[in-house]
Amino acid sequence: MLEVRDLRVGYGAAPALWDVNINVAGGELVCVVGPNGAGKTTLINALAGLNRATSGSIRLGGQDITRLASHLFCQAGIAIVPESRRLFTSMTVMENLELGSFLPGPRSHRARTLEQVCTLFPPVREKLNMPAGSLSGGQQQMVAIGRALMAQPKLLLLDEPSLGLAPSIVMDMFDAIRRINADGLSVLLVEQNVSMAMNLASRAYVLEEGRIVMEGDAKDLLQSPEVQKAYLGLD
Amino acid sequence: MTLPSLNLLAQSILSGIFLGGMYGLIGLGLGLSWGLLRQINLAHFGYVFLSGYLCYQMTQYWGMDPLLALLILPPIFFGIGVVQQWALARFRITPFNSLLVTFGLTVMIESLIQWIWTADFRKMQTHYNELKFSVGGIFVPIPELFTLLLAVGLAFAIWAAMRFTDLGKAMRAMAEDAPIAAAFGINERGLSLLLSGLCVALAAVAGICFAVIFTLTPTQIFSWVGVVFAAVMLGGLGSALGPLVAGIIIGVSEAIAMVLFAPSWAPIVSFSLLIMMLLFRPGRA
Ligand SMILES: Nc1ncnc2c1ncn2[C@@H]1O[C@H](COP(=O)(O)OP(=O)(O)OP(=O)(O)O)[C@@H](O)[C@H]1O
Ligand SMILES: [Mg+2]
Repeated sequence: MLEVRDLRVGYGAAPALWDVNINVAGGELVCVVGPNGAGKTTLINALAGLNRATSGSIRLGGQDITRLASHLFCQAGIAIVPESRRLFTSMTVMENLELGSFLPGPRSHRARTLEQVCTLFPPVREKLNMPAGSLSGGQQQMVAIGRALMAQPKLLLLDEPSLGLAPSIVMDMFDAIRRINADGLSVLLVEQNVSMAMNLASRAYVLEEGRIVMEGDAKDLLQSPEVQKAYLGLD
Repeated sequence: MTLPSLNLLAQSILSGIFLGGMYGLIGLGLGLSWGLLRQINLAHFGYVFLSGYLCYQMTQYWGMDPLLALLILPPIFFGIGVVQQWALARFRITPFNSLLVTFGLTVMIESLIQWIWTADFRKMQTHYNELKFSVGGIFVPIPELFTLLLAVGLAFAIWAAMRFTDLGKAMRAMAEDAPIAAAFGINERGLSLLLSGLCVALAAVAGICFAVIFTLTPTQIFSWVGVVFAAVMLGGLGSALGPLVAGIIIGVSEAIAMVLFAPSWAPIVSFSLLIMMLLFRPGRA
């Protein structure tokens, strides 16, 4: 599904990602973990066309999308739930969801996808006509995920969906992501919440200072001494 | 201060409403490009006058009806708006620099107008000039009424398009967070061209109405900047209905001030309104 080869991304002259290689198979849930400033957001934004690759390649379902214009990534099948959500806060929840399905393909299935989103996140149904900015953090996160689902992507990118949420809501959020993936959608999840992300994912990558330093089966990685020590504070 | 007759006051208020409609019509495209494209397009005023002079040329020399100009000029000016936006994007002009660039453009348009039509006063003579009716002793000139109705109609049409169509929602989304809008397939460059074309086409519409109602002279271009800016800022950047409502409030306030005090009070009123609004408005930038 997704094949990232030797991806290098920088801000100005300084690279923030060095030759990153990542794969996500069809229907797989893969997570990328790493400390603050490791380059997780840089990576996920590059996959959504928000950052441009300096070198390397991004392929989605066999199609090379590395050099596509930013607004064509969505058409190729990628939808992003960006860091800190970035909803269109002055617009209503409904309008945010409609914008997720702006392209003609998803637009023609809008009513059905909207129903699926509301079934997945019941609180969203109650808030459709409210300005998105007036919702609680958890509800805004639901709308952000809903907006991405409205695009009917082949690959869903999630950048720290648990950030700033109360622990009980984090559980709900991870459960929703599990159900989205169980419906067959490929998911790439970036998280600082290492144990929860690795329990959910089938495979995991550890990103540090712009480089992939570990990768493998998520359950194995979670048990590895390096991860236990560096990310879970266990000896 | 002598109290004016009720009739005079009513007549003045009506002309204030009409003048406000003109402020609103000029401000409509200016505010949309300011709020949604983040460009303070001073050339908007140049385009209004250029369209006015072209309408003058078409009616006085080529024997056309102003209504025909209303069909011909806006599409041409749409094209000008597309080209301007393309150039601003091509050379990566920042919002602040757009103010300088479009100021320069306005000066060039002013010179062009002087060169073609000289600095003389030009008043269009058409059969519309004389058209008016009277209600209870108050005269209602048809061109002014037509302008007001056009301003109201266009403002509502654009408001509805921004609110209810996917394209309008995409424009609002782009104004709020362009990269994320792009991530959902919204083509920022294409939409900006479209929006800029629309704004300049609106300038052309305003210019035609202006030429029918007012006397044209190139040096007048800059004297409309202040009050239209006030209407746009009072009404809210990027709002379709705001500038019209604010324009009418300003127009009526000016008219009342002129009747009660003296004509020279008019500009003081609009800018006092603007400054008070900027000082006391809660929050919004
Ligand atoms: N817009 C930017 N301009 C310049 N440098 C940036 C920019 N955004 C991020 N960086 C730098 O790139 C590196 C990677 O940042 P990035 O935001 O991708 O990390 P992250 O892993 O997502 O961190 P966090 O867990 O805090 O979200 C950091 O050193 C950061 O300072
Ligand atoms: Mg991040």
